[in-house]
Amino acid sequence: MKQGCIAALCLALLLALLCGCAASAPSENAENSIDFYAMDTYMTVQAYGADDALLREAADCVNDLDARLSVTREDSEIARLNREGHVSLSPDTAALLSDALAVCERTHGALDVTVYPVVRAWGFTTGEYRVPSDAELDKLLPLVDYRAVSLDGGEVTLPQGAMIDLGSVAKGYAGDRIAALLREGGVRSALLSLGGNIQTVGHKPDGSDWRIAVRAPQGDGYLGVAEVADKAVVTSGGYERYFVDENGETRWHIMDPATGMPAKSGLVSVTVVGDEGLTCDALSTALFTMGLDKAADFWRQSRDFEMLLLTEDGALYATPGLAACFTPERGCELQVIGDD
Amino acid sequence: MIKTRTWIIVIAAVALVAGALSLWLFSARTGTVVEIVQDGTVIEEIDLLRVREAYRFTVTSSDGGENVVLVQPGRVCVESADCPDKICVQRGWLTDEPTPIVCLPHRLVIRSKSASGADAATQ
Repeated sequence: MKQGCIAALCLALLLALLCGCAASAPSENAENSIDFYAMDTYMTVQAYGADDALLREAADCVNDLDARLSVTREDSEIARLNREGHVSLSPDTAALLSDALAVCERTHGALDVTVYPVVRAWGFTTGEYRVPSDAELDKLLPLVDYRAVSLDGGEVTLPQGAMIDLGSVAKGYAGDRIAALLREGGVRSALLSLGGNIQTVGHKPDGSDWRIAVRAPQGDGYLGVAEVADKAVVTSGGYERYFVDENGETRWHIMDPATGMPAKSGLVSVTVVGDEGLTCDALSTALFTMGLDKAADFWRQSRDFEMLLLTEDGALYATPGLAACFTPERGCELQVIGDD
Repeated sequence: MIKTRTWIIVIAAVALVAGALSLWLFSARTGTVVEIVQDGTVIEEIDLLRVREAYRFTVTSSDGGENVVLVQPGRVCVESADCPDKICVQRGWLTDEPTPIVCLPHRLVIRSKSASGADAATQ
């Protein structure tokens, strides 16, 4: 009996100690983070078990991508391409452009990397917003055609006057690159927030899923929280960058490549959850342009991603996979997109 | 036999209390603290739960840009700014959620140190 008591006492002490240890987190899994500005946005990388050097490497990787991809930096590969119409791209940039063009193709031009001349005309690249005239848009629209981009190995050629912008995929791609870098460095748990693009590596250190809130387009609230692991979560919304024109109409930065006008598809927010940041980033823009019905059809054909759609009249839709791990805010009713 | 059982129950209870206590101690709540970060440096920390009366202050960036920060009990926002895009003003109130207020032109970030409910937010 005495022995039993001693054993129970030891066990209790051990348990208490274990609880304390678990809560204080062992050093090899200690949280470390870095925040920096790149790609015209504010980014944070929070990784468990990463040293400062690895996080610095992650930030450098994004800055390097930014230097090569930025449309507004005169010496970037993309700015040179837009200026000169033909350049030899670095292998990385060529691979990214190839991937981006593949999504343009897959979405039948709902995403079009050549929409840049139109975006520029609206002033979204400089912040000097304006509404271009119909005549101006008529002139620019023929330049918007991803099929006219010739990419052969690293050699890329654009038609006269055409310009590309990889802004719709760059942050997503950066997320993929950082996630790969951290994994190679032995990190099994990390959370990347790249200007509203979220990418997660593994689970949280305690083994639970990451809780990712989806911001509501208006006000300070949220649509709900998705619980994910090892996924990218990317949202496109009209509320991110917009201006109100002299007639009081809200003009946002997501352009419909077919019309050269801000995309008015009836959707105000699209969140895509998937394995790759690049694909999620690109699809979130494309699905925003497509609208609810076309987006639902597009999902039914591929089913290799999950999505959450908010319409302008406040209805919230999700694909079954996301509905299963999404808790809507109180007052938000979630409708599940079905097979037909 | 009964005595042993009693002992086990008592010890288990002690273990539970000790475990819960250590969890509570190690994950001590920090309140609703926000950090005002300018160009990567934390220039101010505010515990929003300790704010009794509203006040405002101006943060001036290295190139002379200004953001007026309004602090009220439990929340903070950028009330006005002379940046070109005003995204920081449109962002509205920050309480304890994970989406920071960011003014890119002035490199100003207001972020919650104790975000509740979610680990991050997509927008």
